[in-house]
Amino acid sequence: VTVPPAGGSPAPPVPPADDIASWHRLHPLSPLVRAGRHLVGIGILVILFLFANQRGSQTGNDLIYDLVIIALVLGAGLVSWLVTRWQVADGVLRIETGLVRRQSRRFPLSQVQAIDVVQTGLARVLGLAELRLRMAGGDSSGGRLASLPLADAERLRQRLLSMAHASGPAAAGTPPGTPAPGQVAGPERPLFRVRSECLVGAIALSRTGVFAGVVIAALLAVIAATGQPGVTASLLPVVIGVALGIWRRFNGEFGTAVSAAPDGLRLRSGLVQTTAETIRPGRVQAVRLVEPLVWRLFGWCRLEVDVAGARQRRENRSEAQRLRALVPVGSRADAERMLGELLTAPPRPTRRPPARARWKAPLGYHFLGWDGDDRYVVASRGRVCRTTTWVPLEKVQSIRWVQGPVQRRLGLASVRLDVAGRRVTASIADRDAAEAQQILARLPDLARAARQAGRAAPGGAARGGAARGGTARDAVNRA
Amino acid sequence: MSAAEPDALAEPGDAGIRWQRPSPLLLRARRIQVGLVTLPVALVGGLIAGAAGSPALGLGVGLGLVVAGLLSERFLARRVAAWGYAERRDDLMVRRGVLIRRQSVVPYGRMQFIDVTAGPVERSLGLATLRMHTAAAASDARIPGLDRAQAAKLRDQLASLGETQAAGL
Repeated sequence: VTVPPAGGSPAPPVPPADDIASWHRLHPLSPLVRAGRHLVGIGILVILFLFANQRGSQTGNDLIYDLVIIALVLGAGLVSWLVTRWQVADGVLRIETGLVRRQSRRFPLSQVQAIDVVQTGLARVLGLAELRLRMAGGDSSGGRLASLPLADAERLRQRLLSMAHASGPAAAGTPPGTPAPGQVAGPERPLFRVRSECLVGAIALSRTGVFAGVVIAALLAVIAATGQPGVTASLLPVVIGVALGIWRRFNGEFGTAVSAAPDGLRLRSGLVQTTAETIRPGRVQAVRLVEPLVWRLFGWCRLEVDVAGARQRRENRSEAQRLRALVPVGSRADAERMLGELLTAPPRPTRRPPARARWKAPLGYHFLGWDGDDRYVVASRGRVCRTTTWVPLEKVQSIRWVQGPVQRRLGLASVRLDVAGRRVTASIADRDAAEAQQILARLPDLARAARQAGRAAPGGAARGGAARGGTARDAVNRA
Repeated sequence: MSAAEPDALAEPGDAGIRWQRPSPLLLRARRIQVGLVTLPVALVGGLIAGAAGSPALGLGVGLGLVVAGLLSERFLARRVAAWGYAERRDDLMVRRGVLIRRQSVVPYGRMQFIDVTAGPVERSLGLATLRMHTAAAASDARIPGLDRAQAAKLRDQLASLGETQAAGL
């Protein structure tokens, strides 16, 4: 075990190239970074308490309690740092941690979906970064190395990724054009950068933004009506919640920049906390284009991708529910370009449902549509918030046919395509019953063909690949 | 309700799919389950109404709830009859529902794991429910009311099929 000198700024614990096989510790300042979030929270609480107890006499006592709490948090962090160590051997990353309850976790690199480098605000000040491994299993299955010096984190990430590539041709869904190990850090071609003023406008016009406007208006109205700002104190939690939501979104999507690298799309974003992640095309489960009503007036839209394995953010559950926005807000042209980068010749939702579907979906009818070929299925729906979802057939987990009572009366049915996770379902809604039956009959075979093609030629699946026999479109044409 | 009964709920495109049915005992299991819920509810409802109003009212409410439970029998039979599954070459097909009809197709290769569960009522009748899970949370391939031996057989069969056809994410 290498034990770094405490507080050493050139931070020795990390690997000059070849000795990542031995045990290492994290950077000694990592407890501070880990506790940073709590410290901010505690600081706010202290101020609130001081504010609330202005007339009280035990302010001093409270302060002492708070200091004790802070000391405890830091002490616990120090202990956890002392007992945490990691190692990479035989294509497996092992992280051991825990004082009382020892925990040893193994992360086979061939199963890694992606590796992110995340810097929280405090970590950025200290020049540290956190490495997050995303596995397919979702929220709690990933590994975190928090924190390493930034340069070491970047280097380790590349090494781990190249090891993942080297050990992973057998792993299913190997990305297209798998680069040779070492080629991982190639030149990058910038694709998109979000405009800050657009982002501000888009957030202001989003649901959260409108909600914030309503809350502020309500506050002002209450203040104007009563003439006592103090009355609004009870609304404070709501205000804080809304402000945090907006801040998170802004902080998360600020300066989103996407570039094409040899190993996939590189996505960087963040104002205070920055995240750098790589989206490998073969890991894309679904692509979604969202156009809310108000945004459509400005010609804005949002392009999101679903990648297996939730974003590793224990602190923020809602974040894991959201998809990764490659284009948080941008013009149609931006989104189209990004879409072309993710999928090859994606189909458009041009097949309209029969006119009688208007009775079932009087509003939604306007944007209902689907289409498919031998690689993708696309379906769009939603009147207020138009959502178009592309799903690679190769990634389809199950197919469901659903017919409700109204649909049965009208001779309609819907088909849904599920992909891994709980976030995306492509819904081919309100089709003619016969057509839906055809889709249900044909899609499983097409999906299987796409899977086999993807396995036979790893990389040829998501992009490229010659036409194979019938397509989903043909299936319906023949009907 | 026997397995040989003609398929009243067949969909137009069903030709060529050999639907298999859950055990006829499933209907009895569902009846017992409804009964187990209805009787206590009727009893408590009747007692409350009886205490609050008159004993006659209590009796009326209690009887009304029992009748409601009996009426659900009609729906039960149809719901149970709607269940069906077909083991096809590459995927499992499950269909269910009367008001909202559903058919799910789950490729064997997509299977992550299989659950076989049996509640107290099902256990007493020697039944079990089999459920196939995929990586997608929305997939639902559930087959209730399988004979326990049959469920175990199906589970092993599906597991081995899943192994030979396994596909990654």
